[in-house]
Amino acid sequence: MMNQKPVFAVVGHPNKGKSSVVATLSQNDAIAIALEPGTTRAGQAYPLTVDGQELYTLVDTPGFQRPRRVLQWLEAHSLSASDHPETVRAFVLQHRGDDRFVDECELLAPITEGAGIIYVVDGSVPYSTEHEAEMTILRWTGRPSLALINSIGDDDYSDTWQSALGQFFQVVRKFDAVRAPFEQHLSLLRAFGQLEPDWEQPLEQATHLLSEQRRQRRQQAAQLIARALEDLMSWQEKRTLTLDQIAGTSDATLAETLRERWYQRQRKREQTLRVSIEHLYQHQRIQRQEAELEWASQHDLFSEDTRQHWAVSKKYLAGAGFGAGAVGGAGLDALTLGSSLGAGALIGGVLGAAGSYFYGDRLVLPALNIGPIKDGLKTASFGPVQDSQFGYVVLGRAVDHWWHISHRNHAGRDLLELEPADHHWLEQLDKASRREIQKAFDRCRKQRSLSHSQRQDLASAIEQAMAVYDDWRLNRA
Amino acid sequence: MSHNPLRLLLDFDDRIQRDRDQAPAFLHRRDRRFALDCQQRGQSPDAALWLEQMERLSGPGNARQAGRAVQQRWRRINGGFAAAGAVFGVLTMAGLLFYDGGQRINVTVIIAFVLLQLLLALATTVQSLAGWQPWSWLQRRLQAQPPGTTLAQLQPALMARAAHTGGSLFALTGLLTLLVMLVVQDLAFGWSTTLNTAAQSYHSLIHAIANPWSWLWPAAEPSRELVEATRFFRASPGSTGTDPVQWGQWWPFVVMLWLTWVLLPRLLLLALSQWLLARKAERLLQRHPGMQALMYRMETPTLDTGNQHNDADDLPDTRTRARPGQLQDSQYIICWAGAGEPELPQALLAQDSRVLKAGGRASLAEDDGVLESLAEQLAGERAPSVVLVTRSWEPPTGELHDFLEQARARWPDGTTLTILPLAPDANREPAEHLVQPWLRFTERLPAGFANVALLPALPDNPYHTGSTA
Repeated sequence: MMNQKPVFAVVGHPNKGKSSVVATLSQNDAIAIALEPGTTRAGQAYPLTVDGQELYTLVDTPGFQRPRRVLQWLEAHSLSASDHPETVRAFVLQHRGDDRFVDECELLAPITEGAGIIYVVDGSVPYSTEHEAEMTILRWTGRPSLALINSIGDDDYSDTWQSALGQFFQVVRKFDAVRAPFEQHLSLLRAFGQLEPDWEQPLEQATHLLSEQRRQRRQQAAQLIARALEDLMSWQEKRTLTLDQIAGTSDATLAETLRERWYQRQRKREQTLRVSIEHLYQHQRIQRQEAELEWASQHDLFSEDTRQHWAVSKKYLAGAGFGAGAVGGAGLDALTLGSSLGAGALIGGVLGAAGSYFYGDRLVLPALNIGPIKDGLKTASFGPVQDSQFGYVVLGRAVDHWWHISHRNHAGRDLLELEPADHHWLEQLDKASRREIQKAFDRCRKQRSLSHSQRQDLASAIEQAMAVYDDWRLNRA
Repeated sequence: MSHNPLRLLLDFDDRIQRDRDQAPAFLHRRDRRFALDCQQRGQSPDAALWLEQMERLSGPGNARQAGRAVQQRWRRINGGFAAAGAVFGVLTMAGLLFYDGGQRINVTVIIAFVLLQLLLALATTVQSLAGWQPWSWLQRRLQAQPPGTTLAQLQPALMARAAHTGGSLFALTGLLTLLVMLVVQDLAFGWSTTLNTAAQSYHSLIHAIANPWSWLWPAAEPSRELVEATRFFRASPGSTGTDPVQWGQWWPFVVMLWLTWVLLPRLLLLALSQWLLARKAERLLQRHPGMQALMYRMETPTLDTGNQHNDADDLPDTRTRARPGQLQDSQYIICWAGAGEPELPQALLAQDSRVLKAGGRASLAEDDGVLESLAEQLAGERAPSVVLVTRSWEPPTGELHDFLEQARARWPDGTTLTILPLAPDANREPAEHLVQPWLRFTERLPAGFANVALLPALPDNPYHTGSTA
């Protein structure tokens, strides 16, 4: 038993969220969770491994079905407290294959083999003494134990639970499997480690690695977003046309078709980003709902008219950028815009507007470009997008999505709704990072590829933006 | 596989580009595994070993080798420069030594040409060090696709190497041509300049130029007498009366001049550019973001949180056709596992009913007692019925199932059981998702025995109205 890796059996009454706790701690969103007693029918081990070496294992178990009958059997077969653990083992041995005690055997077997006990209760329903039979059985096993007060509903009876559970368990913790922030996962794991001296080191190592992994994921997410931004900002839709086709279509229709295809492609790319961020955080089954990536027609990125206006009037450009950015969820650059737009305009202001204000003079590259005839064919190309606000909109949406994903526990099964919001958060981003982002956008729209170091700079600027968003969210909450 | 740094860098860059779309978790697993394998073999993992492993695993016949393609292209470019240099070397030297017997060959011209060559060679190296590419337009035109960012950074060094290769061949064939010409022809060298230069100062110049080799081959440094004797003026050809042998005595100087100030610098600079290229490639590899990421992946343990198991689709069937019915009046109420504590809802207490407790803290023997006493009392009833009050939030367990099966066996036939799940606030209706498991539970019991009911809704519930008023 000494050198055995720690095993924790997550046990309890049916339907109290045992599987949710395991799903969150093992970052597995493919564990069956339902509001139906008996969803978990057999014990299932979820080992945490480091380079293939097991550090600890969580065992999800079915709930108690016949605790009083088990306790009756145990009491009838025991002489003194010292034989309690052995009696429990005997019970499991004797009742293997007995249909009535399948669940009890499944949940007691790992404990009799040396697992620690994680007893889960639902703190959103009133405490009752009716659970004492199962708690007594657990106490009979003599294994170190910890009680977890999960919270399935909205009510809170956790205080009464806490004092009652304290009589049966070494440690009592509150842990909301669906909503607990990551730091609480770590602190809970550390608490698991406190149950037995031998377990402290592996659990400490696990928490260290988990937080390192989380830090790394944040970096990787920033890189994924940076790549997507680069792709989106420099995408050019091309189409080769024969002379007949050119004669048959007007430039406007051609532009319309290409624009439509351009948008489709951009949306698809954005979706790819969403999925890769979700997979990065081991969310394989999220159902997501968000507004489609689009642009209000009065701010059409490619309209000749709009662009002419923009080339002429910087103020108009800032104004147009302002509106579009607010929709997309970018922030306000009060320093550069405050004087030109007045206090009223600051309400939903946009960093993107500052970008267009400064770079407006250069927004003259035509979006639709029909090349010269070559071998009887012409190439019509569309894009890349000339307005850097587009990039800020995409960035805002991506960071918002990342935040929800990185803060979502794997026990969560509800729809992920990303609402378009009126955010001010980008205004907190430091000047250097803003400049990096703007610089990358500019290179992209001129179709110049980014060097390795520029890519890295963009990614770290985005990581900075993510940190700012995180702060903003926490302070708002 | 012996990798040269350039090839290593380019192959590595290409591999990293190809990995861009891979999931980070996969990359981490793959590279950590490689590092651990290396550790086991006692090797320290590096880029060359890593690439070797990647190539070995992808098997033979892998046509995509970016490094080799680039190397071949530059080999061709170098070859072109070398061939052109060789041809120009012959032509240039033949031109410089053009001698029809009338005029002397002017050593001053040769010195000037050598100086020009030297300057060009230095300029090539300086420009490559500065990263300036005056010929990039030509390259853009010749290359089908723009070079990647890594290759683009190496272009100046690569181009300098090609230029120096051409220059070296130029110098070499020039030297050979010179030697051949010396053998097959008699050449008359002299010196000439429009400037009013004394033979003395010209000799000092020659002395300075010949400094590097004068100790090695004294004959290759023209003496002051030779310098004085071989000055010529085109306006008075052959007027000095110099011995014709003396005109030829300049050749060792010309040979050493070419060898030392054209060929040697070119060869040295070629070697330098080769070294610079290798060093730059090594540096770029070390600083490659892919390299840093790879190192991180190799050094950091992979963490698997136990997310392989997937039973998300293995959910229980939660459909039910049963619907909760109305509460039937019954004299007998069983409170299961503490339900109805501290107080039963008013609707149940209104009648003169018997309340029994079972489940939960009650012992199994007490449960038996309840079943037994009810069996006796129900025997006399015309339409025996029992209400079982439960806590809606504590889902039905096996224990309750056992209890009801025993009840059905012991109670008179035709006894109906109504299960009444209560909400935490006993006078409210329980949430629907909490009632569902109870409905499904009755379906698992023998047909017609049990059904679920909810408390009568407002306004028939006087207690409820009273409490919310």
